[in-house]
Amino acid sequence: MRLAVVVQRYGTELNGGAELHARYVAEHLARHAEVEVLTTCATDYITWRNELDAGLDLVNGLRVRRFPVSCERDVNDFGQRSKQVFEEPHSVAEELAWLRSEGPTSPSLINHLRRQGDDYDYCIFFSYRYYHAYHGIRVAAPRAVLVPTAERDPALGLRIFGDSFRSVRALMYNSHEERALIHAVSNNETVPGVVVGIGSEVPAQPEPLRFRQATGIEGPVVIYVGRIDENKGCPELFDYFQRYARVSPQLTLVLIGNPVTPIPTHPRIRHLGYITDQEKFDAMAAADLLVMPSYYESLSMVTLEAWALGRPVLVNGHCDVLCGQCIRSNAGLYYETYEEFAEALHTIVSSSALRSALGSNGRTYFNTNYAWPVIEQKYLDMLDRLEREEASSVKRTQPRVGWFGRRRRNLPPARQQVDRLPTGPASRSSGANGIGPAS
Amino acid sequence: MAEFNIQSSSVDVTRIMEQIRQRIREKRGTDYTEQQTQELATVKLERFLDPRQVRSDLVEHYRNLEPPAALEPVVPYEKPGPAPEPFEFDQDTIYASSRGTMGKLIRLIRKLLNPILKLFINPNPVSFALTRQAEINTWTLRLLQQQTDLAERVTKQFERAGAKFAAREELDALNYEVLNNLVVEMSRLSVDMKNHRMLVESVAGRLDFDERRARALESVVQSRSPQPPGGPDATGEDAENTSSTGTSRPRRRRRRSRRRSGGTATPDTGTNAPGGGSAESDTATPPPEPAATTLPTGTAGQNTEPEQNPPAAPPPAPVEELSAKPPETNPSTSTAPSGDPEPPTPAALAQVADTGSPTSAPAPSTPGPGDAPAPAASPATETVARPSPEGETGTDEQ
Repeated sequence: MRLAVVVQRYGTELNGGAELHARYVAEHLARHAEVEVLTTCATDYITWRNELDAGLDLVNGLRVRRFPVSCERDVNDFGQRSKQVFEEPHSVAEELAWLRSEGPTSPSLINHLRRQGDDYDYCIFFSYRYYHAYHGIRVAAPRAVLVPTAERDPALGLRIFGDSFRSVRALMYNSHEERALIHAVSNNETVPGVVVGIGSEVPAQPEPLRFRQATGIEGPVVIYVGRIDENKGCPELFDYFQRYARVSPQLTLVLIGNPVTPIPTHPRIRHLGYITDQEKFDAMAAADLLVMPSYYESLSMVTLEAWALGRPVLVNGHCDVLCGQCIRSNAGLYYETYEEFAEALHTIVSSSALRSALGSNGRTYFNTNYAWPVIEQKYLDMLDRLEREEASSVKRTQPRVGWFGRRRRNLPPARQQVDRLPTGPASRSSGANGIGPAS
Repeated sequence: MAEFNIQSSSVDVTRIMEQIRQRIREKRGTDYTEQQTQELATVKLERFLDPRQVRSDLVEHYRNLEPPAALEPVVPYEKPGPAPEPFEFDQDTIYASSRGTMGKLIRLIRKLLNPILKLFINPNPVSFALTRQAEINTWTLRLLQQQTDLAERVTKQFERAGAKFAAREELDALNYEVLNNLVVEMSRLSVDMKNHRMLVESVAGRLDFDERRARALESVVQSRSPQPPGGPDATGEDAENTSSTGTSRPRRRRRRSRRRSGGTATPDTGTNAPGGGSAESDTATPPPEPAATTLPTGTAGQNTEPEQNPPAAPPPAPVEELSAKPPETNPSTSTAPSGDPEPPTPAALAQVADTGSPTSAPAPSTPGPGDAPAPAASPATETVARPSPEGETGTDEQ
């Protein structure tokens, strides 16, 4: 079996998001099939500037074929078009213009798929919202498998992506909440889909003592790992923690990751910056719990890693995915207000029995649903299922509307569409212990 | 905080969150949230802080606040004088002449001889350089002018900012004074409040003491003069009059007698005298009523012994004269023990202790200037003597 993993950026230096997800999946599927990665020459997701050489490359033993980006992103233009399609009635042509403006616009990658697409049995596209996924699915729909990595953001309400969700052969969801969102926005229940997620390489024996010795941190520790950004809810976390520290001054908040937003100066807030994976896992193992304040997550890998290490988590209850995972796993608490934050944090920190129970549940949840053998098997099962399906069941992409139809401004604002979608964590009935079978 | 009952296999996050939210709701029921506290704090300030009560010349300060004096101005730089006029230069300037018509001829000749000149030197680069230099000069002058204007504007801004800083410093001092005054006033109010609290406690203590004393004296009187069987005033016509006329008149009568006695040394006369038949008999046959019966509470109405044995007291005032006065009882005189006939004996005190603890007795009503006639129902009154079978006095007490 020959597989193509199509993703907007690819490389070992990319530590997060869909790109890391794609790399992990590609490297693990390479044990079962011949995998080639199709990507762009860009490394910066803001400008999509061509920084790597076009052509064939080898990354961790995998063939990576890079294609140049035809034009960099104009941030002002993208902002204006985003406002237009998200906030105002608009047309399909304006959505397509928004997609071009977002990038990474790489017609050569699409042409490669058009010409050489038959060489691959399946093309696994990552991140529905980018140029490569939308146009790639249109030229390779009979072989397209989509890993949407969708969040509750306005882009999900654009009309053009509904076609993508309905046209692919299968969808590999990250969570039940993501699946519910996509079903609601595109009515694609008939398309095969499975909640898979992603595994993680967690060391079997992390050394928390080493972390304590290296940093000199004593007492209970709550840890945050990830980009320290306003979009991740970090300012709210800082506010809540500082208020909590006034009544419980022995707790330390450890931050790991690159800061984008200012970190307040506080004796109980320690920023360690960017550290190695080994140090990160040592720190997580030394912590009493992990806190994840983000409002929007399609799948928090660091949360899964904390569970793999047997650590409970405290997540933002406004994030449906995180809240749903906590409920399904019984391995973490969630908060929506400061009072809940303080109570839940105190509950976890003060009760070693609860910490232990939650951590144990988290480890079980991770091993059952997110261990790499489980993930690989779900991909292979889905591909086998697609192999067995009759050719007649294969759908074609919906024809694009005509020239005039594309310019008719009859589409509602995308944000308005997303606001109408159901909210809240998915119910337990959506799958045994969280991850359900293919639907 | 209550611990959760944790069994590793039966942790239910939803239930835990419900418990957490329940705890939050319970806390909110007894505690104020920060927002509520802030609101309360705001209300207090608005309601109680009256700037007029702040003893300070703050307002005068504000009134006398002059516009902030300008800071020391920035020393202006010395202008180098007017800039020289930029010269104009173009390709034809080197051939031009200022001699009018003749100059045109000269210019023509120079132009004609230009090729010969070029055999020796090429004037074109020189001309070009000078042309560009003229343009550069003009541009530089314009730029310098803009810079000068900008510097002047910045200087003005600095001066304005300096003035604002000076005003702010003045305002800071005033704000500090406001805060200081507020703190002083708050402290004073706090001390006042403590004083008042102590005063109330003191009054309550005295009232309690008087109550006990009254009971003790009542017991003393009872133990010293036992009720003779078929007492003189409790029988016969007087008794009938008593029962038929009720209790209000005897009480009024008793008050008159106390007035006549000068209103001194009559503890609890008004408040504790429930009235009795003997008083009615006095009304029917007005003898010179002993003013200072000085009977303690309760028994005074029933025990007629003082009327039988009037103590030495000043002669009573006429009834008409006294009735014109409002029936007031000075609380200070009612609680003053100076007119007590005898101090209570230890046995009497012991009897008081037997009749009931002070804390279990009904709380005595605090006598005010206008409520002296209101009787206070004490257990001793109810148990010691109540000859009226109809219980009218008891009804009146209530």
